[in-house]
Amino acid sequence: MLDALLARAAQQLPVASLNLIKRGSPLTLDRDEHLATIEAIHTGLAGLNYISNEQIATAVFLAYHLDKPVLIEGPPGVGKTELAKSVANMLGIACIRLQCYEGLDESKAIYEWKYGKQLLYTQVLKETLGEILDGAKGLTESVAKLHEFGDVFFSEEFLEPRPLMKALKEEAGCVLLIDEVDKSDHEFESLLLEMLSDYQLSIPEIGTIKANPDRKPLVFLTSNNTREISDALKRRCLHLYIPFPDADLESQIVQARVPEVPEELRRQLVTFIQALREMDLKKVPAISETIDWAKALILLHTESLDAELVKQTLNVILKFQEDIESVTGEVQMLTNKALKGS
Amino acid sequence: MEQTIVDFVKVLRTAEVKVSPAETLDVMAAIEFVGYEDRALFKNTLSMLLAKNPEEKDTFETCFEKFFTFDDVMQAPVTGGTSDDAQDSDAFEDENSGDNPQGQPGGKGSGQGSGNASEAADAEASDEETPSPTSALGQLLLQGTRSDLMVSMAEAGRAVEVNEIVVFTQKGLYTRKIMDQMGLKGLQEEITERQETADRGEQRLAGKLKRARDQLRDQVRDYVEKQFFLHADEHGKQLREELLKKVKLSNLEKRNHKDVQEIVFKMAKKLVSIHSKRRKTHKRGQLDIRKTLRHNMQYDGVFFDLKWKSVKVDRPKVMCICDVSGSVSNYSRFLLMFLYSLAEIIPKVRSFAFSSDLGEVTRLFQSSNLEDAMAKTMRDYGNGSTDYGQMLEDFKRNCMDDVDNKTTIIILGDARNNHGDPKAEILREMYEKSKRVIWLNPEPRSNWLVGDAEMKKYGPNCHQTEVCNSLTHLERVVSNLLKYAA
Repeated sequence: MLDALLARAAQQLPVASLNLIKRGSPLTLDRDEHLATIEAIHTGLAGLNYISNEQIATAVFLAYHLDKPVLIEGPPGVGKTELAKSVANMLGIACIRLQCYEGLDESKAIYEWKYGKQLLYTQVLKETLGEILDGAKGLTESVAKLHEFGDVFFSEEFLEPRPLMKALKEEAGCVLLIDEVDKSDHEFESLLLEMLSDYQLSIPEIGTIKANPDRKPLVFLTSNNTREISDALKRRCLHLYIPFPDADLESQIVQARVPEVPEELRRQLVTFIQALREMDLKKVPAISETIDWAKALILLHTESLDAELVKQTLNVILKFQEDIESVTGEVQMLTNKALKGS
Repeated sequence: MEQTIVDFVKVLRTAEVKVSPAETLDVMAAIEFVGYEDRALFKNTLSMLLAKNPEEKDTFETCFEKFFTFDDVMQAPVTGGTSDDAQDSDAFEDENSGDNPQGQPGGKGSGQGSGNASEAADAEASDEETPSPTSALGQLLLQGTRSDLMVSMAEAGRAVEVNEIVVFTQKGLYTRKIMDQMGLKGLQEEITERQETADRGEQRLAGKLKRARDQLRDQVRDYVEKQFFLHADEHGKQLREELLKKVKLSNLEKRNHKDVQEIVFKMAKKLVSIHSKRRKTHKRGQLDIRKTLRHNMQYDGVFFDLKWKSVKVDRPKVMCICDVSGSVSNYSRFLLMFLYSLAEIIPKVRSFAFSSDLGEVTRLFQSSNLEDAMAKTMRDYGNGSTDYGQMLEDFKRNCMDDVDNKTTIIILGDARNNHGDPKAEILREMYEKSKRVIWLNPEPRSNWLVGDAEMKKYGPNCHQTEVCNSLTHLERVVSNLLKYAA
């Protein structure tokens, strides 16, 4: 009876946050097909302009078949986050992202009660509550009567799902991206453990929420290695290390991302960047910087690298003044080398 | 295959890759999907499941290559085998062992594998009437394929538990054991038997078997050696490391420095991972109003779950004063090495070196590598007789203003002041101004008051005095430094 009242109250109230509508997206049929073999993953990702290598494709393959999360480590800007997004794109499923930061806790990662709504409802239902308890004599009887209705106010309608829970509830499966997990506190890592090993979450008031067993979310965690991730977390994950790409792969990536770049220029700039990575810099340029630089050079209608131009655009690839200063002296030499095509 | 995986995991563990049983199970499950036909795929899979940081990946790489490589084990040394020889032997093999199921690819590999046959082939390639051997091992040697022989050797190796090998001298023993396991006895008997008969063919076969046996012995020895490097080498290294940790640092010889440096880095890494979690202490009595309000919203704003303010424990600010005169320089070297390896969790280290005059060497250590920095420090400050009084005076003049109640001062030295003025009152001042003064003395406590040592005067002006003459001691000191940083 109380449930019915609640429903009525819901109709009367213009509560915007009442998002009980189930998103009934059809199950993606070609999911298995995309993930059937390592080659399929390779080509699928390449189709989305994400050039993977053997390890990356294997990791995605294993993640799907073993139902294991993937912990991706590597220097910044090598495409860790991009991988998760591309996989979601490839499979045509949602990508739910949880950005980690210091102080992130369960109320922001898993769920939170909608306090406002709970308060509002209790206010609205004050009078109706009187009606229900009408026949009851004394406190004991009233409480007993109330107990019959269970914990209405701590049911799923009052639950605000946060990324982790959203990912579990996604019927069609999804990609869950837990970004920069090394930025979060140690406590948060432990919070993730249940989710990562069993694909379930326990909420004291409601019980355990489990993922659809046939459509478990594909979980990707990324880490920049600012601190060591705990062994407990590592144990539950596949560990994928993405290093800087070699010249060949990088050239392919630039071609996929910035197809406008003529071949000659592409070769030059990749050679240049690879040479920069050999130098002792505070922050070496990553792939994302290479791509930015390629775009910048296109905007400047560049046909071929020259020292003056490189000096002017150095701030695209190097992010520290110290680095820029130390490289400026070498630019002529590096450019010549790139032009010669070592 | 399962046994092989377990063995491999064991190898990884001796090589200091932490692998849990659960991860081993994961590997088994994964192999069901990927199989082990595709070597690269197999390797990638294992690497993802077993090695979980870049250093472990490197170790994994070498271990995998050593463990899952069989070809070169079977490659007998090529003894003057020209390509013609190899060709010959190929032909011979085809005739002699027509039941060879795979037909080895590439004349070269086959030529090496059956180097024994090659010699025989040179001598009597045309002779067809060779009787076949009767003993199991003999048959395997002359007719089996390389992989058959390899499998048999590996099985024998497992049966005699060659992976238990500990020291170098056991190699002969295990070689013998494996040979026995493979059926050496039967082969020997056969050889003797055949040699005694008058038939030329029989005798020739006996000779061939003999050669094959000797060859096999070499191969087995090779195999045992590989196993030794795989299983025992790391084990021996661990033993050595344990020893080096306990040995007095001043007794270390120059050739050990590299090893010790490695150990220091390892210890430092351990400390980093233990202490990288920043602890909080609760400041009792101070209400955190914001947190309390937020947290109690769910109770309709009734404050019955209070939140208190907490403060993060600061990373220690360390000033390290090292005596670099001859007697103590080695200790200083490793203390500094330790502190700079911990840069991740103790970012603010300032270091000073002295024998009589004090000089700051912080920049030196930050900008160049340890060896160079240490050498330069020695050159600049290492000469002259030790004068602790002068050092304290210099410190007071230059750095006293930078000492605050968060600073930990570590002084490393034997406090032998050559009967000069100890100036303990300056140390007292430091004691009062700083959070902690720790004196590390490499000499045993009983010598602290003997001769020109001034520990009697310095000791009471320190929060802590510690004997410190081995890596274990150093580790303990640094660990305490981090633990009680609060």
